[in-house]
Amino acid sequence: MSDNQEVSTTGHQWDDEEGYPLQEYNNPLPKWWLYSFYATIIWAVIYWILYPAWPIGNGFTKGVLGWSMHKELREEMDEANAKKKVVNEQLASMPLQEIAKKNDLLQYAISGGKAIFGDNCAPCHGQGGIGSKAGGFPNLTDDDWLYGGNLETIEATITQGRTGQMPAHLKAAGGAFDEAQVNDLTQYVLSFSGRSQDAAASKRGDALFHGEAGCNGCHGDQGNGSLKGTMAGQALPPVGAPNLTDAIWLHGADPVSIRESIAKGRMGVMPAWGKGSKEVGRQLDPLAIKQVTLYVHSLGGGR
Amino acid sequence: MQHATIEKSIPLMAIITLVLVSIGGLVEIVPLFFIKGTIEKVEGMRPYTPLELKGRDIYIREGCYNCHSQMIRPFRDEAERYGHYSLAAESMYDHPFQWGSKRTGPDLARIGGKYSNQWHQAHMLRPQNVVPESVMPAYPWLAKNALDYADIDKRLRALSKVGVPYTEEQIGNAKQDLMAQAMTGGDPAGLTKRYGNKVPKDDFDGHPDKITELDALVAYLQMLGTLVDFSGYQAQTR
Ligand code: HEC
Ligand code: HEC
Ligand code: HEC
Repeated sequence: MSDNQEVSTTGHQWDDEEGYPLQEYNNPLPKWWLYSFYATIIWAVIYWILYPAWPIGNGFTKGVLGWSMHKELREEMDEANAKKKVVNEQLASMPLQEIAKKNDLLQYAISGGKAIFGDNCAPCHGQGGIGSKAGGFPNLTDDDWLYGGNLETIEATITQGRTGQMPAHLKAAGGAFDEAQVNDLTQYVLSFSGRSQDAAASKRGDALFHGEAGCNGCHGDQGNGSLKGTMAGQALPPVGAPNLTDAIWLHGADPVSIRESIAKGRMGVMPAWGKGSKEVGRQLDPLAIKQVTLYVHSLGGGR
Repeated sequence: MQHATIEKSIPLMAIITLVLVSIGGLVEIVPLFFIKGTIEKVEGMRPYTPLELKGRDIYIREGCYNCHSQMIRPFRDEAERYGHYSLAAESMYDHPFQWGSKRTGPDLARIGGKYSNQWHQAHMLRPQNVVPESVMPAYPWLAKNALDYADIDKRLRALSKVGVPYTEEQIGNAKQDLMAQAMTGGDPAGLTKRYGNKVPKDDFDGHPDKITELDALVAYLQMLGTLVDFSGYQAQTR
């Protein structure tokens, strides 16, 4: 644009009267730009032929490559599954106990299980399964189990889900006992861990626990939970009632939380993950459940 | 036509610009209304129940979409983490849709049924209670605020004007159905009749005696991505 004389103008003039007409130059486009522009047009035509492009009627041109986003995903998934096929078939066909004995297979399953745990279980059970008091999500790394810590029970827990049914006891919350009785029960439960402040109340609570309230029907005569406890020498139904005599608490160890558990009841929901186990929501296939079972079992408390 | 003619007449230039831009729009958008595969035919889609709809409104009010998408893209990593990719049909009754484009938190398109109501209660009260490293803000007022649903029937009617197939019966019973789903009266059998037997009736917020904003939000979260049964779904050749 150094030499203005060579360039034509658009012929349009503004403010003619001034004597210095303001004009618009009509500069040609730089060559490189122009040819790049033509190249993009040619590329567009090639693209129309290769890929899905033009709408016609109630369909569209499919393109000679037959590419589709969903087909690409399917191929990618198949390829990934094919790579893992041999190990996965081995895992799927072997019982949990057998896998646990084969170290290389076990390590493979545990590392897969760890990823599955992170995406699905950690929000409730915490990173690494350490549990969380808000909402009563149990710690899975200790050997204090509600339902059982052997491989088969863990697998059943994950597949079918569990719902802890601790009934409400206070009249105002739909139970059958008054404030004083709930306080007595709280004192008695605290006495299991030597923390009762009021021996007389604890004694009244003892009578309720083994009598009218029937707590021992779930927590056992000794209060040590449905897994280890007994009632009149009989094993208890597997209702997941926690051990009240140890230092591990689902909903908090302080008297207020314990009173709250007894007064209003608790209902911890462990979702079911098995296919077809529930109508809606995220489900895991049996292989994924096996892997996450082995991972949970490996966290330290596995039996 | 002369360049100068167009350039000197603003109305003419406006009209020609409009025509050109519309051609672009017509070519790109209109065919989607006719192409069969745009919205797949799937079983199970239904309009939101009144309680879920209020929950959706709260989701929008609180700006949850600024951090959460509701759109599982057809990639392997997403399929393995979140489940089947989202279908257009799944946001068929969304006005506006909540696909989003920012993922500070995880995608929520299939969050329904993944966690328990208790988990959502604890999480909305203070996310760090359950996920210590979370950067999600707390929403403690949701459990305190009573849900205002005086205009719920009008909301259903407005949506029916833009094509959501709410029946007169559904609009007329909107308040009853909302109460029934939160288990505070209403007519539970009617709710089931109008929206199907998969609709969960529950005390979503952990306060059995009142209907709070948390009831609505959790009811909404718990149904996301649960309507279409993918066990029988065959991807169309697209
Ligand atoms: C919505 C929260 C939630 C999610 C998600 C969740 N769990 Fe649980 N889980 C619980 C609760 C609550 C319990 C205790 C149930 C009870 O109180 O009866 C539990 C119990 C368990 C138990 C039994 C513990 C025992 O002591 O017997 C195991 C094992 C377990 N979960 C594993 C898993 C695995 C593996 C996953 C992921 C696939 C998972 N959980 C996902 C809430 C959850
Ligand atoms: C039907 C069986 C059942 C009966 C009866 C029962 N419980 Fe429970 N209890 C449970 C279950 C299951 C849990 C765990 C609840 C959950 O978190 O899901 C529990 C939890 C508790 C907790 C909280 C424990 C923790 O780790 O935080 C306390 C305290 C308790 N029960 C005390 C009692 C007392 C006292 C009684 C009698 C008044 C009683 N329970 C009666 C089943 C029962
Ligand atoms: C500042 C960004 C931000 C905002 C705003 C936000 N979230 Fe989150 N959200 C997150 C992050 C990060 C996580 C992952 C950590 C966690 O679980 O808390 C998350 C997790 C979640 C989860 C669990 C997802 C899963 O699969 O584990 C739900 C449900 C959720 N958010 C709902 C909401 C709702 C409802 C709102 C609006 C009221 C909201 N979020 C607003 C950032 C946000």
